[in-house]
Amino acid sequence: MSTEKPAEEPVADSLREDDWEAIEETRLRTGVVDKAFDKYVHTMEPLWRHVFGIDLRRWWLGMRSPHGPLKDYYRKDYATLDLPWNRVEFLAIDLEATGLDPDHDEILSIGYVPVIKGRVKLAEAGYHLVRPRRPVPEETAVIHGILDGHLENAPSLREVLPHVLKAMTGRVPIAHHARLERFFLSRACRQLYGNPLDVPFVDTMVLERKAFSRSNREIKQGDLRLGRIRERYGLPRYRAHDALVDAIGTAELMLAQASAMEGGKKAVRMGDLLS
Amino acid sequence: MEVELIEIRDFLATTHPFDVLPAEEWDQLAKDVEIRYARKGTELITPGQPAEFLYIVRTGAVETRDPEGEILARLSEGEVCGVRALIRGEALNRSLTIEDSLLYQIPAKRFDTLRKSYKQIDFFFAPMVGGRLSEAKGAVVGEQELNLLSIRLEEMLTREAVTIGPEATVQGAAKRMKESRVSCVLVTEGTALVGIFTDRDLRNRVVAEGVAFDTPLREVMTADPIRLDATSYAFDAMLTMSRHNIRHLPVVRGKDIAGCITTTNLIRTQTKSPVYLVGDIHKRSDAEGLKEVLSHIPELVHQMAESGATAHNIGHIVSTLTDAATVRLIQIAEERLGPPPIPYVWAAAGSQGRHEQTAQSDQDNCLILHDSYVDAQHGEYFARLAKIVCDGLDTCGYVYCPGEMMAMTGQWRQPLKTWKKYFSKWIEEPEPKALMLSSIFFDLRFIHGEEALFDELQDLVLEKCLKNRIFLAYMAGNALTHQPPVGFFRNLVLIRGGDHNRTLDMKHTGVVPIIDLARVYALSVGVKAVNTHERLMLAMDRKAISQDGAMDLRDALEFISLTRLRHQARKIRLGEKADNYLEPEALSSFERSHLKDAFGVVKTMQASMGNTYQAGRF
Repeated sequence: MSTEKPAEEPVADSLREDDWEAIEETRLRTGVVDKAFDKYVHTMEPLWRHVFGIDLRRWWLGMRSPHGPLKDYYRKDYATLDLPWNRVEFLAIDLEATGLDPDHDEILSIGYVPVIKGRVKLAEAGYHLVRPRRPVPEETAVIHGILDGHLENAPSLREVLPHVLKAMTGRVPIAHHARLERFFLSRACRQLYGNPLDVPFVDTMVLERKAFSRSNREIKQGDLRLGRIRERYGLPRYRAHDALVDAIGTAELMLAQASAMEGGKKAVRMGDLLS
Repeated sequence: MEVELIEIRDFLATTHPFDVLPAEEWDQLAKDVEIRYARKGTELITPGQPAEFLYIVRTGAVETRDPEGEILARLSEGEVCGVRALIRGEALNRSLTIEDSLLYQIPAKRFDTLRKSYKQIDFFFAPMVGGRLSEAKGAVVGEQELNLLSIRLEEMLTREAVTIGPEATVQGAAKRMKESRVSCVLVTEGTALVGIFTDRDLRNRVVAEGVAFDTPLREVMTADPIRLDATSYAFDAMLTMSRHNIRHLPVVRGKDIAGCITTTNLIRTQTKSPVYLVGDIHKRSDAEGLKEVLSHIPELVHQMAESGATAHNIGHIVSTLTDAATVRLIQIAEERLGPPPIPYVWAAAGSQGRHEQTAQSDQDNCLILHDSYVDAQHGEYFARLAKIVCDGLDTCGYVYCPGEMMAMTGQWRQPLKTWKKYFSKWIEEPEPKALMLSSIFFDLRFIHGEEALFDELQDLVLEKCLKNRIFLAYMAGNALTHQPPVGFFRNLVLIRGGDHNRTLDMKHTGVVPIIDLARVYALSVGVKAVNTHERLMLAMDRKAISQDGAMDLRDALEFISLTRLRHQARKIRLGEKADNYLEPEALSSFERSHLKDAFGVVKTMQASMGNTYQAGRF
């Protein structure tokens, strides 16, 4: 398995989400951290993250944040790791961006849906288009289908982010290949409120990798893609690259994964879902 | 923020019955959905627990079992679970996922409002209410209204609209209405509709108010009347008219006037009166003449079915016409041959006997002669009489019975004592093959002659049946030979290959199994009636069958028969020969779904009869 050559995807501006997902997938599959990926990890995860516990960090960030959405967000405690998973409130999030570099690219749309008591609550689903400061690059527009024309009347990130933070408050975020969402959202918070968003995500891609290694199965190219995993769980085929559809798809996948873990004897706790 | 739940909405939009909802409602309903993932073996609905959700299976499969553990339903993608529990408020049966399943759940309250707001939804779920095919004639009565859902107004417009200008006088308008023999005029300026003036307006706004007859119409008409587009459905027209309490509804195509629909249009039923036909039958003096009258039967059946008559009623009416023709032919024979030398009975068997003819079919009949019968002396008279009547019926369209179970066959033209012997043998020494053939004689009905003879035979038969459990077990076994065409997963099982590839046999696998069941129930408790509907009801009174079972079977029979009738009417309309082979594609999904329920009921009742008589042993 490790004889496979680490993927050498370029970190060019034209990096598409699919490529990014492919890098991450390769990393998870082979255990090899390629250099392109390393660059992001180090810029995005400062050393102090590894020194202080999450609760302390969140308390401190809450103190430091100016009055506003981010402070409100940090003020609310969130579930402890030993709670059974279906008593925890989650928020599945997906976003589409102009590219994959959180430092330079911009969020174009955010979709999210809460999972409460093990049910995906569509009534509380949210979807926002975000007006970027620069035009949408053609190569990403091809993927998510969001064109400049759609965004003319869209609100700015400053207007959208409070809604997202509000939806996230008290809920554990879920994403497929969560790094992208985590970095972009954190970057946005830093830009707007001067402080990062520090929260562990449930990553359905990581959960799946673990499921593979638990059952000693070999992970093949593409096995960890959202669509492919959903197919294996018998979940319906949805169109990809619509932030809300992907968020719902991720939420459903998490339910399926958690239920499958419950198939084993012991109760699944939130800690089991967090990487 | 406009949240569009594309995938969920699209799924609802293609899932029956939600597909009939307007597009806005799909969006709204999608938002009220909660998605749940349930592993194989998860209990969704527990007996005795309050029902909170309607479940739509998105992927996976769900099974519902009754408290005894009998499977009631298996649901797969796009099917709905929990309706009965929701309507009852509390679950009686247990529903489990039998595969890992993704479920859409809709809260009870939302389901309620949906049913209240959309008639179509209510129709769809009506048969599931109360746990039986229809408490509910909903399915059947509703069909009529469903029909209105499929007819567009433009198909109903029969004549050009009668129009008049707004400056015309009231009297001018009244004259116009009189000449055209209509109850309203549409008031137009150019081609644009500006008003409507009706009989009722004439009474209420002109005569009662003492308005001068030369008043221009503009002052008394209803300006800018409610109208519908020609592409709207008849159902919309009905709703609009009842909502606004109006009887006339202008129909437009874009801006142009297309015509006017009245309440009479909507309720008009052009049923050719069967009473008239019976009268006509008695005026005819030969088989050819009778044939002419009876040739109206297909049209009559079609119209009755269209105007909402039940299959039970239709069967009764058609059989009555056949009876009348039979009696008329007997009279003609007696006129020709002279009065009968000894008393006799002409009896009908099979579908005519049961009052269940819905089209001209094979003839099944027999002659029961008085015991003073002497072959050498009377044989020829009755042979000729039988020949005249059977030939006549054949001419009329009731073709000879392929099994020769007709009065013109010597074996079935016998004195009472021989008939008693026949029945005694059938009942006391039952033999499966003979029984299969003779079972139609257990549906015998008096048509003409000396009724006492008939009663004597019938009493004997019923008495013997009552005492003979082995015979009943044979009959029960016989009743299970025709299985309804519904499989384990509640899908329809079609005929494969041959001339009727991919069809359902609505006779042998449709109505016959119910007829056979009812016959056994009736004979087991000495019920005289031979009509399946009546047999079920009387057997229920005498506890041969549970109340639920009897009602379910009755409703199933009604639904299957009506579907069969419609199929035959459709064939005739297309200029084809009416047959019993129905292509499921020809049905709406409403009908298909009801049909599955109906077949399911038959299957359940067959299983229960199988247990009662341990049919497998014989």
